[in-house]
Amino acid sequence: MTDTTPLMVLAVFLASAVRYSMPLLVGTLGETVTERSGHLNLGVEGMMLMGGAAGFVTAIRTDSLVLSLLAAMGGAIAGALFYAVLTVTFRANQVVTGLALTLFGAGVANTVGKGAVHASTPPHIQAFFAWQPLRPDLSAIESVPVLGPAAVFLRTVLLEYNIYVYMAVLLAVVLSLLLHRTRLGLHLRVVGENPASADASGIRVAATRYGAILVGGALCGLAGLYLPLVHNGTWVENITGGRGWIVVALVIFVRWSPLRAMLGALLFGALEIIGFKLQGFPQLAGNPLFSQYIIGMYPYIITVIVLVANSARKKGGWRGPGALGLPYFREER
Amino acid sequence: MHIRKILSTLLLMTLLAGVMLAAGCQSGTPTNAPAEKVKVGVLYISPIDDGGWSTAHNRGFVMAENEIGKDKIEWVTKENIPDTDAAATETALRIMADAGCQIIFATSYNYMDTVEKLAKEYPEIKFEHCSGYKTADNMDNYFGQIEQPRFLSGIVAGLTTKSNKIGYVAAIPIPEVVRGINAFTLGVRSVNPDAEVHVRWTNTWFDLSLESAAANELLNLGCDVTSQHQDSAATLKAAEAKGVFGIGYDNPMGDAAPKAYLTAPIWNWGAYYTKKIKAVMDGTWSVEQYWGGMKEGMVGLDTLTDLVPQAAKEKVAEIEPMILEQGNDYVFKGPIKDNQGNEKVAAGTSLSKADQMGMDWFVEGVVGSVG
Amino acid sequence: MLRIARKEDMTGLRAVGVRIAAVLLALLASGLLILAMGYDPREVVRVMWSGMRTLKALASMIRIAIPLAMAALAVSIAFTMKFWNIGAEGQILMGAFAATAISSVLPEGTPGALRILLMALAGLAGGALWALPPALFRAAFRTNETLLTLMFNYIAIRWVEYLRCQLWKDPAAMGFPQIAPIPESAHLPQLLGVHIGWILVLVLAFLQWVFLRRTKKGFEVRVVGESEKTARYAGMTVGRVLLFGVLLSGALAGLTGMVKLNGTAFVLAERLAGGDGFTAIIIAWLSNLSAPVILVVAFLFAAMKQGAGWMEGLAGIPSALADTVQGLILFFALGSEFFIRYRIILESRHRTERKEAHP
Repeated sequence: MTDTTPLMVLAVFLASAVRYSMPLLVGTLGETVTERSGHLNLGVEGMMLMGGAAGFVTAIRTDSLVLSLLAAMGGAIAGALFYAVLTVTFRANQVVTGLALTLFGAGVANTVGKGAVHASTPPHIQAFFAWQPLRPDLSAIESVPVLGPAAVFLRTVLLEYNIYVYMAVLLAVVLSLLLHRTRLGLHLRVVGENPASADASGIRVAATRYGAILVGGALCGLAGLYLPLVHNGTWVENITGGRGWIVVALVIFVRWSPLRAMLGALLFGALEIIGFKLQGFPQLAGNPLFSQYIIGMYPYIITVIVLVANSARKKGGWRGPGALGLPYFREER
Repeated sequence: MHIRKILSTLLLMTLLAGVMLAAGCQSGTPTNAPAEKVKVGVLYISPIDDGGWSTAHNRGFVMAENEIGKDKIEWVTKENIPDTDAAATETALRIMADAGCQIIFATSYNYMDTVEKLAKEYPEIKFEHCSGYKTADNMDNYFGQIEQPRFLSGIVAGLTTKSNKIGYVAAIPIPEVVRGINAFTLGVRSVNPDAEVHVRWTNTWFDLSLESAAANELLNLGCDVTSQHQDSAATLKAAEAKGVFGIGYDNPMGDAAPKAYLTAPIWNWGAYYTKKIKAVMDGTWSVEQYWGGMKEGMVGLDTLTDLVPQAAKEKVAEIEPMILEQGNDYVFKGPIKDNQGNEKVAAGTSLSKADQMGMDWFVEGVVGSVG
Repeated sequence: MLRIARKEDMTGLRAVGVRIAAVLLALLASGLLILAMGYDPREVVRVMWSGMRTLKALASMIRIAIPLAMAALAVSIAFTMKFWNIGAEGQILMGAFAATAISSVLPEGTPGALRILLMALAGLAGGALWALPPALFRAAFRTNETLLTLMFNYIAIRWVEYLRCQLWKDPAAMGFPQIAPIPESAHLPQLLGVHIGWILVLVLAFLQWVFLRRTKKGFEVRVVGESEKTARYAGMTVGRVLLFGVLLSGALAGLTGMVKLNGTAFVLAERLAGGDGFTAIIIAWLSNLSAPVILVVAFLFAAMKQGAGWMEGLAGIPSALADTVQGLILFFALGSEFFIRYRIILESRHRTERKEAHP
């Protein structure tokens, strides 16, 4: 039975915000890797769609989760590869190439997905994502005053998720460690900060950038797969509905940090669904600040604020990857 | 140097055109269409396979094609044209007009002004606009009284709910949707005066994620039956995942959520489309502002599934003949109060068509506000 | 050892050769793709051509090309300064918003010409004001303008959606969420079957070319684009030049919105820009930021759009496949730029010392 105490209403809201934040989080992690290497890939939406379509079609054709995951990464990597070849090797403009990738990716995905419209996620994959591996049985203490409700609250907020959610969190932690605690991460950051000095110290700039763009693409593909395979259970055209652009904003909002990405994605995920909660309060109906459309602006407005505040810091503070969006050609150094 | 660049681009363009021309001539034997053939344009707001609104229209055109003959109709269809993008709407309609369509169906409300504009420019083409109100000599509009099956589906919901809380995921706060919510609620309250209908607006016709978010919000409030004015089955799927029941819309939606699906108010555009295309072929087309109900077969209630309680089946069977006879007058028969307690329709009368067309208030029993 | 070097400048003829090769390759790849999806490419070409060869089709393509060309002219000014204004989409919308706002406060009897003029001025102002904050922040803090202008697009889209559904909902629209259409007297007059926006585009292209090549301000804009250091040595106030150029860019985009509003749409809605602001970026870039070339490329894009429309409508090819083909053509076009701007040299290790800014 549905529990409608305010505490539980909050818990259920937070939990669904987490579920809605997943494609944002994983996409943000991917784009963060790419941008840390100095490449601004605006084709996130396209790559998410390509990954989602490839992965979902594979899932319904082969009934295999592993193949579906591989296909999602593969599909998005294919898109990222176009971008990498054009911007790294052929030195095309990053912004323009990213926009072209958005168009191309949506086209490919919607073409590939034609056959999968209305198909459902295969039952055993559905069951796998319905599984909540960390959910403890609290029947023993549920009726204890204070402790019982507190435990149920914590369980709802933290422990009732499917495996995708925990994997995404783990991924954020691993990426953060990788970026800040390993040689590989250092190389990646140097390439994104100052490719010329990276080059001078023997780091292979082009190869690093290729790697970052392709890894970023793969993660965007997994983010795109979440929507049809896990969240909606079916495919429709343009299923990402602009989330790729939210991701671009989120990467800035969390200032290129995988750990902060978790909180940022949670906030943006909550903003996506808070309108339905607010509709339960008719006294807010006329207030523009709580209008669904104005709420839709908030992610972009707060991103603007963060972006400006970040760049207004005094010298010495880190203002994002130094070479972001700038092409690097050794010959023109 | 600059001139050279321009020249070179021009050269490129000429070449491109040449290639196309050559290819066009090579395979382009002009097809002289026989006189009894008709070219029909159809403009859709979403993909034809959305499973909802556009699928229902497409179902109608497929029926028309089978009735009239596959070899007699040539289609020019454009799907996924957002109706708030006037330029894209115009481009799409012009393609149909310039391709020689004799009749063009535009199947979403906001196409109206662009249709009106092109109707002036192409007086020889017949334009059919769905769900609007403007007409011209060669521009007609048409719609159906979906409120009738909505009322019946309300009866089903009212007799199925245990919690007396019913959820309604609604698309956009316009009279059409408000009318549907009210008809549904009147149906619910006709058999279960204690039940409430809770409404959540998604502000979109078709978005799986938003629809399921709205549905989940309603389910978390304790609703144990859902209804929808949305074009996907996301609400039904959310209900199924919670182990409760749902009512679909547009098309039979049982396959999407067999363990939750009760029934759905559905559209049957086929007969109308057949009639109007035939009318163009034999020159009898006219403006009629068609607004068909269950009697005309324009709308209907999908077969009730085995999940529907016996009592509800019997009640629907009892009321249906009266709706067939009286139409929307039965659905909106007074006394009707709004959800603030004011009397809106007096006993012994029914809501006028004009008031139905502009409906912007909720009947008693609806929890929520319009917009 | 492979070495890549910048070309001084490829001769026109060879550049054309590369471009033609790229387009042919793209068409070949597209043909193969269409074939692989089970359609007959010859049929597709036939249908596309049938959608382009009539006068009406030409008018239709010009109608599509007008906002594309105007917006491309707009962004190219900012791009010339290496200010990556990808906010044309939002600036178009805000221009149309300002025009609608002015129109709604003018008395009913305002003469059409005056109304159009005031709406055009409002469009210019609306677009410029929407470009102002990113320009200021870039000038003051070096805030990344690509990301900033991108965010401003989505804020503008939501704003207009809010106006349409709530604040400016037209009570006369039978309860439908719609902003009141502009009065008929404000519709742009037609000339040769298309609204006069096409003349405006030609004039603007000429003016822009003159501005950048023949005026002092235009020269400053170009120098700032070449190198801010040089500009500073030459005694220019980089911030002010930047601000001026970006405002000009935003104003032109805003005017594009007004032309779209008064020329085709007649009513403000969040889809008014319809992606033109993004397509314009691609057009400006592929045109090498040159005004006359922009006219040609914008027309080619319009033809591509028109052809894709026919492809979908008559050959039954899903619009998604048409998008794919367009994306593919863009990729080839972008890739071909490399072979025009650089040459690949096979030789032993040797590094040039030349230092040059990337365009």
